[in-house]
Amino acid sequence: MAQLKLERVYKRYVNSDKSFFKKAKQNDYAVENLSFTCYDGEFVGILGPSGCGKTTTLRMIAGLEEITGGDIYIGETRINNLLPKDRNIGLAFEDYALYPPLTVYENLAFNMRAKNRSDSEIKRAIDYVAPLLKVEELLRMKPPALSGGQKQRVNIARAIVRRPGLLLLDEPLSHLDGKMRQQLRHEIKRMHHEIKCTTIIVTHDQMEAMSLSDRIVIMKDGNLQQMGEPIEVYDNPANEFVAGFIGEPPMNLLSSVISRADGAFLFTFPESELRVEVPKRYYDALSDGQRVTLGVRPVDVVVAKTPTKGSSVPIAIYENLGDERRVSVRVGDSLLNMTTSEDVWYERGEMVQLEFKAEKTHLFDPETGNRIVSRKEGS
Amino acid sequence: MARITLENITKKYKDKTALDNLSLDVLDNEFFVLFGPAGAGKTTLLKTIAGIEFPQEGLVRIDGAIVNLIEPMYRNVSMVFENYALYPHKNVYDNIASPMRSKLYRKDEAYIKEQVLRVTKMMRIDELLDRKPSQLSNGQRQRVALGRCLVRTPNVFLMDEPLAHLDAKLRHFMRGELKEMQSAFNSTTIYVTHDYMEAMSLADRIAILNSGHIEQLGTSLEMYYTPRNEFVARLFGEPEINIFSGEVEEASGQLGITALGQETIMPVEPDVAAVLRSGNHKRVHIGIRGADITFSFAEKLGWIRGSVYTNEPIGNKVIMVVDVKGTHIYLVAPNDTKAEIDKPVYISMNMKDAILFSAESAEYIIRHDARNVSRRRGANKAVG
Repeated sequence: MAQLKLERVYKRYVNSDKSFFKKAKQNDYAVENLSFTCYDGEFVGILGPSGCGKTTTLRMIAGLEEITGGDIYIGETRINNLLPKDRNIGLAFEDYALYPPLTVYENLAFNMRAKNRSDSEIKRAIDYVAPLLKVEELLRMKPPALSGGQKQRVNIARAIVRRPGLLLLDEPLSHLDGKMRQQLRHEIKRMHHEIKCTTIIVTHDQMEAMSLSDRIVIMKDGNLQQMGEPIEVYDNPANEFVAGFIGEPPMNLLSSVISRADGAFLFTFPESELRVEVPKRYYDALSDGQRVTLGVRPVDVVVAKTPTKGSSVPIAIYENLGDERRVSVRVGDSLLNMTTSEDVWYERGEMVQLEFKAEKTHLFDPETGNRIVSRKEGS
Repeated sequence: MARITLENITKKYKDKTALDNLSLDVLDNEFFVLFGPAGAGKTTLLKTIAGIEFPQEGLVRIDGAIVNLIEPMYRNVSMVFENYALYPHKNVYDNIASPMRSKLYRKDEAYIKEQVLRVTKMMRIDELLDRKPSQLSNGQRQRVALGRCLVRTPNVFLMDEPLAHLDAKLRHFMRGELKEMQSAFNSTTIYVTHDYMEAMSLADRIAILNSGHIEQLGTSLEMYYTPRNEFVARLFGEPEINIFSGEVEEASGQLGITALGQETIMPVEPDVAAVLRSGNHKRVHIGIRGADITFSFAEKLGWIRGSVYTNEPIGNKVIMVVDVKGTHIYLVAPNDTKAEIDKPVYISMNMKDAILFSAESAEYIIRHDARNVSRRRGANKAVG
């Protein structure tokens, strides 16, 4: 068990002269100035779209990639120059990479046999780990006879059987179908609760990161965007990218121009009649005619029960999905979506006024994408 | 525009029966969804209507006329495929124009232009007309494929999982777009999907297919609130509906149900009690959705004690799995719920929201106020 610390880590892939293809931007860093800390026993998710540098980061921690700049520490030890085998790390990849001719038991025992551990010690370790990932029943089987989910369980069990200080999981659920994925997610969470091993999971699935992690690191183009607890990045996204990436259905992000009328600020939208009141807490940070990107989650848009200073707009889409109802209105070329679990029914074309829940309305600078905070919040 | 009728269709691939004596009647101008798991026979059914597959038994009728021996091109159907199948060397305009330039359905270029512009405007791709498919995003390609299907007014539109290849965000977005244009389709549509949200959102009626036969036929609300069996119940809703067994008990003249190893009898409504009595049901399966279960971390009298198995925040809500004596109950909690694994939790469920199934056959028995909950449209309109 150990704390993991990255300090100003950089990675640049240097292509050899013989490289077959040319990268569009040779000098770009795959990972740029990345610093974060995972505390002892913490479960941290590294989340981002493909090409954001999340797997590169994991591979640097594991020792499979050289570090171009910066330092990585496990506990007090700087591991930049340690061989992978000396880092005391457990690794499980998306592909299971089990030894097909060996039984599950022998697959789990393989690393310990390589280190000349005694049979009784190996058995003790496997007996402890097997129930955690529900592979007790599979120990005598060989990998070709296992389902994808079972293989991944064995793969993860193998990664933790030596009780590493740090467990690294690279997209472990990506190959599995919905049901299996959900189950294994539960097992991983419970396994972590049991052994409390510092764990890092790399994933592109925001729901997976949200549901498993104590804290999430969100990356884009090699840069850290935000690190925080799931609810924190969901409720207070640092920028437009995080806002759009986290949450399903996704946050509404609309370009808006602020307009002042009768002492109230209104959101106005290009090519749309829609007007919605700006929550009062933003009044000190805004001016008439200012351009902003408005971000509000579908659950935080509601049909106003009492008249507002905004305008009425026709309902474009009503969907009853059983668990919830989704309602959308047109805003120029885009749709503004609302979701509610309340049992409401609207006809297409019905006129409604909208309200945004004040505390859940986010404003972003359209140039930088950064969050606009009211002065009260900022101070 | 046409009515599509299938009578006792059986289709076999060697030994494997893909469609098993299946009958179906799709009304004129209806948006009809075929919904079911992979391998249920959905695509085979669609191809049978299109004339790409020929059934060994049964009749296919379009507007009453038997078309079993009619070649696909003469059936006047318009199909969109899961993998788009656009002409890579043609631009968007020519791709969409192509059905109207075929020998059989040839139109003059002025008319074609009018139609292509109409449909591309509807699909919001009217600025991409000179792009080739390789220069389009997946979502745009999908719109072109849909546009090419919708540009004609055939007897029937056949859509085979048109959104399946898109990522979740884009899929939900396109579903909304499709829903919005739906009223402009102006012909019968048969739409295949394995996504329950697409089925519920788009369908006038749904047919649930399972290994070659129809499990249930009806509206989305009928399926959601009064599924004909446990198979159908599990297809709708996220998280999946909880189904566990219970015993019917009687205490001082009042009928109720015990479950999950509890002593407490959960009373049922009179309409439910009457059906349980008349059917002489002793053991039942209780189906209850996660949103209909309440929980508390403080002990509550008469509530069911369990422990937190996992607690998953997924943004706008938390999915909590509660272990009650080995049975896992999924429930939906507010998005700021924090729960330590293995911590005790008390849950309560109201039998008013429960769907009861036969313990032997897994078939639907009854739910409280079934008729009203599955046809609530009128009632809600008055409220909203």
